[in-house]
Amino acid sequence: MTLTETKNTNKIGFFVRNQSIVVPIAAIFVAFVLGGILISLQGVNPLVAYRAIFSEAWFDSDGLLRTFQKTTPLILAGLAVTVGLRVGLFNIGAQGQLISAALASALAGIYITNLPPILHVIVALFCGVIVGALWAGIAGVLKAYRGVHEVISTIMLNSIAIGILDYLVSNPFQEPDQSLQRTKKIAETAVLPNFGVIPFGFILALIICLLVYWMLNKTTAGFRFNTVGKNKFAATYAGINMKLMVVTGMLLSGGLAGLGGAIETLGITYRFEPAFNAGLGFDGITIALLARANPLATIPAAILVGTLRAGGASLQFETGIEPEIVDVLLAITLLLVSAPILAKYLFKGKAQKSANVTSGWGN
Amino acid sequence: MKRMRTLAGISILALVLAACSSGSTDTAADTAAALDDSNCAAAESFCVGLVTDISKVDDKSFNQSAHEGAMAAAAEVGGFYKYIETTDTKDYAANMGQFTDKSYDVIVTVGFLMAEATVTAAKANPNTKFIGVDQFQGEVVANLTGLIFPEDQAGYGAGYLAGLMTKTNKIGSVLGLEIAPVQLFAKGFEAGAKAANPKVAVTTVYHPPADNGFGDPVWGAAEAKKQLAQGADIIFGAGGGTGNGALIEIAKAEGAGTAVFCIGVDTDQWGTVPEAQPCLITSAVKGLTLGTSDLVKKAFDGSIAGGNFVGTAGIADYHDFASVVPMDVQDKVAGVVAGLKDGSIKTGVKL
Repeated sequence: MTLTETKNTNKIGFFVRNQSIVVPIAAIFVAFVLGGILISLQGVNPLVAYRAIFSEAWFDSDGLLRTFQKTTPLILAGLAVTVGLRVGLFNIGAQGQLISAALASALAGIYITNLPPILHVIVALFCGVIVGALWAGIAGVLKAYRGVHEVISTIMLNSIAIGILDYLVSNPFQEPDQSLQRTKKIAETAVLPNFGVIPFGFILALIICLLVYWMLNKTTAGFRFNTVGKNKFAATYAGINMKLMVVTGMLLSGGLAGLGGAIETLGITYRFEPAFNAGLGFDGITIALLARANPLATIPAAILVGTLRAGGASLQFETGIEPEIVDVLLAITLLLVSAPILAKYLFKGKAQKSANVTSGWGN
Repeated sequence: MKRMRTLAGISILALVLAACSSGSTDTAADTAAALDDSNCAAAESFCVGLVTDISKVDDKSFNQSAHEGAMAAAAEVGGFYKYIETTDTKDYAANMGQFTDKSYDVIVTVGFLMAEATVTAAKANPNTKFIGVDQFQGEVVANLTGLIFPEDQAGYGAGYLAGLMTKTNKIGSVLGLEIAPVQLFAKGFEAGAKAANPKVAVTTVYHPPADNGFGDPVWGAAEAKKQLAQGADIIFGAGGGTGNGALIEIAKAEGAGTAVFCIGVDTDQWGTVPEAQPCLITSAVKGLTLGTSDLVKKAFDGSIAGGNFVGTAGIADYHDFASVVPMDVQDKVAGVVAGLKDGSIKTGVKL
């Protein structure tokens, strides 16, 4: 074998070894190319269109703030789904957990008074986390003790949450003299501040992200989570309490989604209105898959989605392209990322050869 | 295998090239379009911007009517027109900001849900005229005009027709979100029906609060089906795409156009939702297009004033059902509509 050939196969080996980074980036690239074609079919230069999105989302102070604001709940919802996936649970109910938490923290922000500012925020955030965790915990308990599949129970709990919240905001907690179904505004003391263009909630989300990464990779609890997720029979054999793991996994997942909803209420909307949190929990699934269930990777994934969403309005203003093109980009990306068959087909043959070569050469 | 991979590579390359090449040719056209609103601040230019609610400018009812009115008025006075479709309720302010940043002269915001955000934006930008469609102004802001309609009168007229036409004495309405303009339609409909026929029972259902309250045709269709099953023979579909879903469902029902009818809303939906034609006897309309274009023109000549501007409301043409609706019914309904207009008949609707 000549030297150049070895180099080539090593290069492909590099891509194979770093598949988790290469595949999403390639997917995003392909999505932008396909999106560019769709945009140019409408008579607009795709480069102008993409520049409109990114200059609004990153290089305009209001836009940058909105990018961070939109990214924050996405990071947390993505983490919620990620944690679930690590324990082998597919939590589709992040949406329900997020919205019930959003209402809970709004109520804590409105009806708990006489607290000093910082403490009030902490209490209100905590209320959201607890409610989100408990809402997911129902699915955890059902799974652990009754064998109800979490995909079914969490998606049904989404609908139940929507129904209960509709009732609560149109009856007991509706803002007086208001025909819209929404709560009052939270007290000033419960507001999460912005530091310039950086919302406090965003910083909080980054910290939580690091904590989750540390928990999953450096602690015994994280080791148990991963073991259960990889092989539940081996985990049982090793003496891990499966039921406990399933329930705590769901509680943690729901708590993270709940924190996302709480930050949304306390930092952006300042009240609960059902229309405010539409789809955030479902975006969490997109982000977790894009990040391939890696907690740290949820940050760039969420920033990508947040950027596209924040820049969407400018896109239509500058070029007349409908903002839904953003969803097309995300859908193509997701399709490619979650189609490992395609990736395997593209990389598999070479990958095996490369493996043989490397082991043959003894490195 | 290898050939397939090469092929995939080549096709991706081709896509990239296609995107790049088509890009370079369009630049000229783009800069030309941008020139149109680059000097909105100048006195001789007149720029009109429109922000939709969570809906599209081709929603076949509410947003579309306002969009057409604003666009026509801007064209008539030689102004420039652009719109943004909102996708997230949290972005109302940012979307209006796109227009204020470029010093647009007039910003039309469409829908009751944007009322608060519009007031805030109007106060922050005193040199821009704001027109809030369906936004009642409790307090007068000098540069903000709320375009409101007597929806209860349109509903009353439609309800009066329904009350005279029903054979089962059961009618219903499938509605969007429970907000003031929709409530006025619904209550007017009920009052009109009761006035025409005291025995009539009216089922009223509002979409539960959510961001798709006016864009949920599946829910609208399901509710319409439910009301049909309960014996309702005339159903009022009022709520953007949600109401359209109800109309289209009824158009497919057994006896549509002979025993079962539907009534549209906002615009004459005979033209905008042709799928509903088999059952659509009329529509409870409000003069959205006319009102919006009137106000934009007033903003152009400077005669616009803050506060509220009341548009028109009534019922649309019967179209093909002119032969189905008996002549005496048509006369009675026409009498009621005229009475509502001159004030001799009151709907008695209060929110």
